[in-house]
Amino acid sequence: MFDFLFSAENRRRKLLESAAEGPVKQYLSVPLPDLRSDIHTVPLLALDFETSGLNPSSDCILSVGYVAVNGGEISLSTACHQLIKSSEALTEESVVIHKITDDASAAGESIEAVIGNLLQALAGKVMVAHNAKIETTFLAQACKKLYGMSPHFPAIDTMLIAKRWLERRNKEIGQGDLRLFNLRKQYGLPMYQAHNALSDAIATAELLQAQIAHMDSDRKLPLKQFIK
Amino acid sequence: MEIELQEIRDFIAEVPPFDLLPDDELNRLVRHLGIRYLRRGKSLPLQQDSLRLFYIIRSGTISLYTAEQTILGKLAEGDIFASFCASDDDKNTHAKVTEDSLVYSIPCTTLFELTENTPEIKAFIQHSPHRRLQAAIKTSQLKASQTATLMNTPLEMLLSGVVVDIDINSSIHEASLKMTDQGVSSLLVIDDGSLAGIITDRDIRARCVAQKLAIESSVKKIMTHAPVHVGSDTLAFDALMLMTKKNIHHLPVVDEGRVCGIISATDLMRHEGKNAVHISRLIHKAESVEVLAEISQTIPGLQQQLVSLGGSAEHVGKAITAVSNAITRRLIEMAEEKFGPPPVAYAWIAAGSQARFEQSSHSDQDNGLIISDEMKTEDAAWFTKLADFVCDGLDACGFIYCPGDAMAKNPQWRQTQSIWTGYFEKWINTPEPKALMLSSIFFDVRVVHGEKKLLRDIQKKILPLTKHNQLFLAHMTANSLQHRTPLGFFRDFVLVDNGEHKDTLDLKHNGVVPIIDLARIYALAEGLKTANTIARLKKAAGSPSLSRDGAANLLDAFEFISDLRMEHQADQIRKGDAADNFLSPKSLSRLQREHLKDAFKVVQTMQEFLSQRYHAGHI
Repeated sequence: MFDFLFSAENRRRKLLESAAEGPVKQYLSVPLPDLRSDIHTVPLLALDFETSGLNPSSDCILSVGYVAVNGGEISLSTACHQLIKSSEALTEESVVIHKITDDASAAGESIEAVIGNLLQALAGKVMVAHNAKIETTFLAQACKKLYGMSPHFPAIDTMLIAKRWLERRNKEIGQGDLRLFNLRKQYGLPMYQAHNALSDAIATAELLQAQIAHMDSDRKLPLKQFIK
Repeated sequence: MEIELQEIRDFIAEVPPFDLLPDDELNRLVRHLGIRYLRRGKSLPLQQDSLRLFYIIRSGTISLYTAEQTILGKLAEGDIFASFCASDDDKNTHAKVTEDSLVYSIPCTTLFELTENTPEIKAFIQHSPHRRLQAAIKTSQLKASQTATLMNTPLEMLLSGVVVDIDINSSIHEASLKMTDQGVSSLLVIDDGSLAGIITDRDIRARCVAQKLAIESSVKKIMTHAPVHVGSDTLAFDALMLMTKKNIHHLPVVDEGRVCGIISATDLMRHEGKNAVHISRLIHKAESVEVLAEISQTIPGLQQQLVSLGGSAEHVGKAITAVSNAITRRLIEMAEEKFGPPPVAYAWIAAGSQARFEQSSHSDQDNGLIISDEMKTEDAAWFTKLADFVCDGLDACGFIYCPGDAMAKNPQWRQTQSIWTGYFEKWINTPEPKALMLSSIFFDVRVVHGEKKLLRDIQKKILPLTKHNQLFLAHMTANSLQHRTPLGFFRDFVLVDNGEHKDTLDLKHNGVVPIIDLARIYALAEGLKTANTIARLKKAAGSPSLSRDGAANLLDAFEFISDLRMEHQADQIRKGDAADNFLSPKSLSRLQREHLKDAFKVVQTMQEFLSQRYHAGHI
């Protein structure tokens, strides 16, 4: 655990030295939150990507949604949703899921602008995502393509938190149990009709607040407990 | 705004008072919201909050308490929690999360800044539920009295639509024929389509007959030229003032040169004349049950008129009861003329709504006879005749027979003072279901005619028995809880779920009756003689049975629900339908619905208090 703590912040400093001017350097210039600090006070950014597939090297990001969480409050003033202008035509299945058509996608922003904004919003915060592997790997891949290098992105994964919680209680995990929709239901969170990057980001942020509240609301919970 | 926040926006748009907010302002508001998840057991405000926050509950429940830890109510999905933004003593309110909740929050100051163009929002938020209720009552009564009193009615509302006129080239004779034919006392004289003059009965008398003027002469000779006239938007009050000032009795109504009609002082008076005093006077003069029945037919009209004149339910109840009292007394007088003087002293008692001065035009009759203990067996026949005559008469006058047979016509309720005393003692000491039902009728009692002392003596004996009588009051409370307010756990209305009145609220049994029941229990617990609900609540306020705040809240709730019921019934009468108590919430504005929920919530809370106090749940 200590190795990880040490390496995350160390890696940031090391990369900062070698980073060229630009969004990545700006992101790296803000220190990460102290991993010993209480989760209730850590600035977070709940993030969701809609992608054209699951493989970061062959698939692309279609849209990005995020919202910041400060002191246990999700602030809608920070909510952001951006579609990415796509160079390749969208495959039919991804369109069905995300309802992003070629036309809408053509009207979006360049990937460069979107990732630049995202890095700015993410600086000094910890990412929150449901099945965070998608967000961390696609973001790293995009950074490499755009800037030739990628920072390391520490992330809180609400799916992993749920999985560990169930495993610790020796509960069988059925198919679909770990889906965002089903986990939210368990905490009595409302159903959202829309399926897009921003509403999923908000839904994920709400789920994390519920998970934290149900752990032990009076005790301090160090951030490191939530990463990995 | 991000279209993706639409879902949250749509939710807020349904929550009063934000339904009043224009779209762009609503979008701006959503952008300023925070979302929090609150675990069960948390108290609000949260320790870390430096600003006062306003909350909208998306899911879960939050309970509100006063500084003294008494529960004020429960909030659920779609409710607002505004106490921390209130300008008054509500700041002492605190809240506890009773079920995990997802809430939207915004600092009060930000909220007020964002909604400053819609001042109703701030007004709504700064008032706690019971204060909002008070404000709503005031506005609706003010509105009614501003727009609907006769004296503020524009003349166009009073015009018949038929203009009786005559051409300027006609003779006096022709004019008098037309007036006789049409049964009017005045004629408008028209020259080329516009008003040239007016002739009245008096003109024919004073300017023609008295002057020996030939009846073939032109109407021009006797008419008043270019008479004073007014527009149809003139208020009745101003018209009356003008007539008084000019000492005229007829006023032509002209709009932009077009003659609309004529209004007479008598027209205005006739409109005012349909009042309770007038009807009571007619009742005193009535010589037969048939005539009384005919007069009674004006009662629904009286009720409707009182409501449209801005009268509160209290006012209307008193007026209608005054009429039914007059009818009852007149019937008793008729009976005494018919059957001779009473053999012994007696009291005709009204029970139920008549006793409480809360009758409406479609109330049934509840009554009884308390006869002096000096009665001999042979006297009974006289009282039977009296009871039959009066009860039948009341029925003919529209106060239909009591479905539960609680009438003097029923020998059980035509008894001597000692037997009545025995009844009451038995109800108090053995509170079985039937006894409780009868208690709720006969503990609301008043002498309408006869020897008041007969009832007073009984009350002197029995009220000390009810006062602080835990067992009896506990049973009365349990019995009263049969009438629940139609408010669900999630602050939704519980509607009548089948039959003719499907999807309506029963404003009587689930609205007014629970408050009447509460007031009766407070009165009996404190040994009060009063029967009127408002008077009971006022007298019991500040006693061990009822706090001043509780009384004030109940009075507001009673006023609001009763007024709503009255308006609903007046509406039905106006449409020519039979009046009933079933109101569809769809016919209410969103704000009225909220006020109604506030009123129900007050009643619910007071019922819970009482139930806990007497452990009525264990009965």
